[in-house]
This record gives sequence, structure tokens and C-alpha cells, in this order.
Amino acid sequence: MLSKSAARAFFLVGTAVCSLAFVGLTVDTFGRIPEQTHSAAITPEVARGKVLWEASNCMGCHTIFGEGAYYAPELTTVYERRGPDFIRAMLRDPEAMYPGQRRMQNYHFDDRQIEDLLAFLKWSGAVDLNGFPPKPTLMPVAVPVPGKDGAVATSIDRPQIFNQMCVACHALGGQGGALGPALDGVGMRRDAKYLHDWLTDPHAVKADARMPKLPLTPGQIDELVAFLSHLKTGGTP
Amino acid sequence: MKYASQKVAYWFFATCMLLLGLQIVYGFIMAFAHAGFDVLHAVIPFHVARATHNNLLVVWLLCGFMGAAYFIIPEEADRELMWPTLAYVQLGALVAVGVTAIAGFHVGWFEGRKFLEIPRPLDYLVVVDVLLFIANIGATMWYGRRVTTTSLVLFFGLFSAALLYLPGLIDTPNQTEDSYWRWWVVHLWVEGVWELILGGILSYLLLKLTGVDREVVEKWLYVIVGFTFLSGILGTGHHYYFIGTPRYWLWIGGVFGAIEPLAFLGMAIYAVAMARLGGRNHPNSVAVLWTVGCAIMSFVGAGFLGFAHTLPQVNLYTHGTLVTAMHGHLAFWGAYAMIVLGIITYAMPLMTGRKCYQAPSAALAFWTSNIGMIAMTLAFAVAGVTQVYLERRIGMDFVTVQKEIEVHFYGLILAAGLFASGVAMFIWNFVSYGLPVDALVGAEMEIEVEEVQVRMVRS
Repeated sequence: MLSKSAARAFFLVGTAVCSLAFVGLTVDTFGRIPEQTHSAAITPEVARGKVLWEASNCMGCHTIFGEGAYYAPELTTVYERRGPDFIRAMLRDPEAMYPGQRRMQNYHFDDRQIEDLLAFLKWSGAVDLNGFPPKPTLMPVAVPVPGKDGAVATSIDRPQIFNQMCVACHALGGQGGALGPALDGVGMRRDAKYLHDWLTDPHAVKADARMPKLPLTPGQIDELVAFLSHLKTGGTP
Repeated sequence: MKYASQKVAYWFFATCMLLLGLQIVYGFIMAFAHAGFDVLHAVIPFHVARATHNNLLVVWLLCGFMGAAYFIIPEEADRELMWPTLAYVQLGALVAVGVTAIAGFHVGWFEGRKFLEIPRPLDYLVVVDVLLFIANIGATMWYGRRVTTTSLVLFFGLFSAALLYLPGLIDTPNQTEDSYWRWWVVHLWVEGVWELILGGILSYLLLKLTGVDREVVEKWLYVIVGFTFLSGILGTGHHYYFIGTPRYWLWIGGVFGAIEPLAFLGMAIYAVAMARLGGRNHPNSVAVLWTVGCAIMSFVGAGFLGFAHTLPQVNLYTHGTLVTAMHGHLAFWGAYAMIVLGIITYAMPLMTGRKCYQAPSAALAFWTSNIGMIAMTLAFAVAGVTQVYLERRIGMDFVTVQKEIEVHFYGLILAAGLFASGVAMFIWNFVSYGLPVDALVGAEMEIEVEEVQVRMVRS
């Protein structure tokens, strides 16, 4: 039968061995972190951004590297997902992008602070996280829907700005947000002039529009109008 | 109580009750926000409520551990507490730091690192405060008449907890390194040294409540804390899967994380076996309920539900979702909240001479709060699994998914109502005990308390 001294020895030896192994692995890990996290890319802006990230308690709602709270989106790869303009607009006015939806505190950041946070988020997106965040493996594949005359939907490439900004609220081919109407077939419902005016300032077209005025350049608006006008199939006219 | 200085524990326990009540209020604020009623946004935004909820938990549990140590150590060391006045000063200082931190959150003073939100200057004050506490119980043990395994395990748990707070103070501009050190505090606390504290308190309660031989109780205590460290130290690796650390952590964290439940399973079997072995029908049956309940619920919450998402191939999808909240709530409740409520239930009649554990509300508090917490865990589980499926597997947008799962937070609020009413009954029971009575000094057991009362009535 196990004696008390044997039990104590089990505790002490086990703890000592595991602690030593843990310290050894920690030393090894810190030798590898600089390469895996591109620590050379941690500029003063990134460092300031991290300080601001903590002082604003961003982790109180968001996650980064999957760590934080679960009230607001995961931000590790937000720089790539939404692009700098979307993030800038959001940080300047948290109600700019999702008006009437779940609210974020307005921190009244100045321009330099916004750029620092952007630099931090850009750095975080480049860190090798061993496959996190995962790709949605069960995502329905968007298949071009044949039109009435049998022709498939336009093959015109989606502008980058569409994938970053528009899909936050609108779906196309079943993928994207559900806050605004789906954009399938929008080219049949609206002409180019309407789309142009709408994207320039939704409230000038419709005073009670739920869509905010987006931070788009004239070039981006033209690109989007061209793309949206080609969306002739799918959806309800 | 055997020694007059044990009654300092009362004030620590009273602080626990206050902070626990407040913690639940902030929990409701968050649950309503998740359900779509963020009505306090302008005054208490979600992140403020979240930091307050978490830090109140940490402070009241630490307060409970300290109170437990002040109650247990004099008795185990067989002498008065070294500096009873210092204990009051130390409690006052802890409360002052806590109030400053919570008030600071409400005006935007943060060092927003999950669980370690309190700003740096206050961190140093916490360290000083905990060192005073360690010195007080350390000196009591050093100059005591005996050193027991139970007191040693409790002491080293508390001492290591103080020591492990320090890696959290390392400053680095690299988020990966920041997170790495943060887990030295958070993981090595809750899945490491806090389990020593839990084991120490549990062993003391089993000794007192079941009457099983000390040699047997303490032998198995060593085996259990041995398993805790064997799995828990390298099990820290399950936080190092996806934060920018090498891939080998997926193996190390996966294997050692998977055996972590064994320590909790051992603890559950230990408590049940000792309770059966003892066969003593302790009059304070509610204390037995909390003690054995704690061991079982910590296995379910920390062990079983922790295992549910510790493997890297599962965690890839559940990491950073409400599944974590599901595990977190039952784990903290089962392992740490319940042991503190257990020692409070055991100590109160000995300090005050009243037998409020006989009131129906005492047992009802146990059942209501536990059923409420299990229901809350289920609500979080449904919300969490739905979120994982829609967002991580199907690729739906975060905001859209959150709208889909709002309804589960109605369920959460209902369950939390049940839980809160259980806790309210516990607090009511605590209040009805009244203040510690000096006449009871020297009475170590319930039966002796009764004798003192008989003498008091006669005189």
C-alpha cells in the first residue's frame, strides 16, 4: 500500500521534472518567437498601438489571437479582412459601419492613435498562428446562378473594396452579412447613376437610409458601380 | 473556534459575500447586453462590465482563500495568529485597492489584459498586500507547535500564487510574449497552484467533517496535488496553440491538457471516498454538501468541460468563442467559489455559535445555486456550439451570428436568476449568523460549541 512518504516523493519529483521541462521549453520558445511573429516588424507605431490596445481595454469585447471577450469580432486578421479604410472609419466613429447594431464605445481617438492601432492590427495579422483563425470548411461554395437566357452571372472580378467593406452587411451568392439586403441581381434593379449616387451618400438619395456614408474614393465608387451593374442575375427583381 | 485570532476570517468572508453579490449584478449587465438590451451602454459599456465581473471574481476568491487560511492555519499550527491586527490592515488595504481598481474601470483606467485588467501601480500594491498576508500565516506556521501537510499544501499554494503574479508584470511590445507570460499567471493559478489551495482547504474540511484519520487524508492529498502539477504545468501548453508560439505546443498542450481532468477526477473520488469512510454524521450537513459538491462540480466544470475543448483539433474552432465562457463559469464555480462557500459554511457556526445551517434556506441555497449554474452552463453551451458552427464552420458573419444566438441569452438570464436567488439565500444565511463571539474561543468542535452555550445559559 502506498505510504505517505512515497506519495510526497511522487508529488515532489513529478513537480520538479515538469517544472524543469516547462522552463526548458519556455527558453526554446522564446528563441523561436522572433521569427514566428516577425518581431523585427514591431515598429514604434506597433508598440504604441499595443499600449493603446491595452489602455482602451479592447480585449474587454474583442479577441486577438482568439483571446479576450466574445462580444465583438475577432480582430487578429481584421486588417486583411476589412482593410484600413473600414477600420479607420470605425475607430473614428464606432457607429459609422454598423449603425443601430451592437454598439462600441467611442474613444475619440486622434489620427495618430488610429494609425498606431492600425499598425498593431496589421502586425498581428502577419503572425504565424499555426492555422488560426480556421477556414470555414463547411462554407457553401458560391456557384454562379444561370440567368433566364441560360447565361451565367458575370465573371467580372469582385473589387477588393467589395470584399472588405460591402460584405460586412450585404451578402452575394449567399456569403456575407445579413444587415442589409442581398446584392444578387442588384444590377437589374438599379441603374448605374442610382448606384453612384447611393454609394456617394445614401442619405442624399433616401433621408432615412440605414446604410452609412462609406469612406470611399471616387475611383472606388466607379469600380463598385461597374461591378454592381454587372450583377444581373439571382435575387428578386 | 479554538483561537481568538481565527475570527479575522469572518471579515474576509463578509467581504466575499459583498463582492460576490456585486459580481452577479455585473454578470446580468453583460447577459442583457448579449441578449440585445445594452441599455447601460452610455454608463457601463460592455468592456467595463466584463473587467469588473472578472476582477470582482478574482478579488473575492482571493479574499476567501485568505479568510480560509486565517481560519485554518492557527488551528493547524496550534497557536494564535502571529499578527492579528496586521490581518485587518491587510484586508482594509486589499479592499481599498479593489475599490480603486473597480472605480478606475468605470472612468477608463485599464491595463486591458484579460483577467489582469488592473493598472500597473495597483499591481504592485496587490503584491505588497499578498506578501504581508504570506508573512503573517508563514510566521504563524514557523512559530507554531506543529506543521501539518494540510497547512503546508495550503501555504505553498498561496505562496506560489503570490510568486506567479510576477511574470504578469513583464512588459513587452510583442503580443505573443505578452500572452505567453499572462498565462503563467492565469493558467498556473487556476490549473496549478490554486488547486493546492483548493486541496488544502478540502483536506481540512474532510478531516473535520468526516473524522477520517489525518494520515490517510493527507497521503491522498499528496497524490492529488502530484497529479495536478504533473498535468497542469505542461498543460499550460493548451493556451499556446494559436498565439504565435511553436507548433510543438499543440502536442504538449494536447497530451498534458487531456490528462488534467484526472487530478479533478481524483479529487472527486477522494472527497466522496473520505465522506463514506468517515461515516461520522457531522451535524453541519450543509458544510458536507458544499465540500463534497465542490469536489464533484470541479470535476464536471474544470475537468470534464475543460477536456471538451482542450484538444487542438477541437480548440482550433472553439478558441475565442462562447464555448470558453461555458467552461469558465462552471469551472470557477465548482472548483473555487464552492470551496470558499464550503469553508464559510463550516466556519460560521464555530465563530458565532449559531446553527443557521439548520434553516431550510441553507440547503436550499446549495441546490438552487447549483441547479442555476448548471442551467447557465447549458445556455452558454448551446450559444457557444451554435456560434462555432455558424461562424467558424459555415463562415457566417460575426454580427449576423450574434443576432442568431441572442435568444439563448434569454435562457441564460432565466438560469442566472435561479442562480442569483440561490446565492441571495446563502448571503441571507450568512447575515443571520451574526458576528463572531469571543466566548466560543477554545471550542474546536460543534459539540464543544454546544457546551459553551449551555454554560452561558446557566450563568
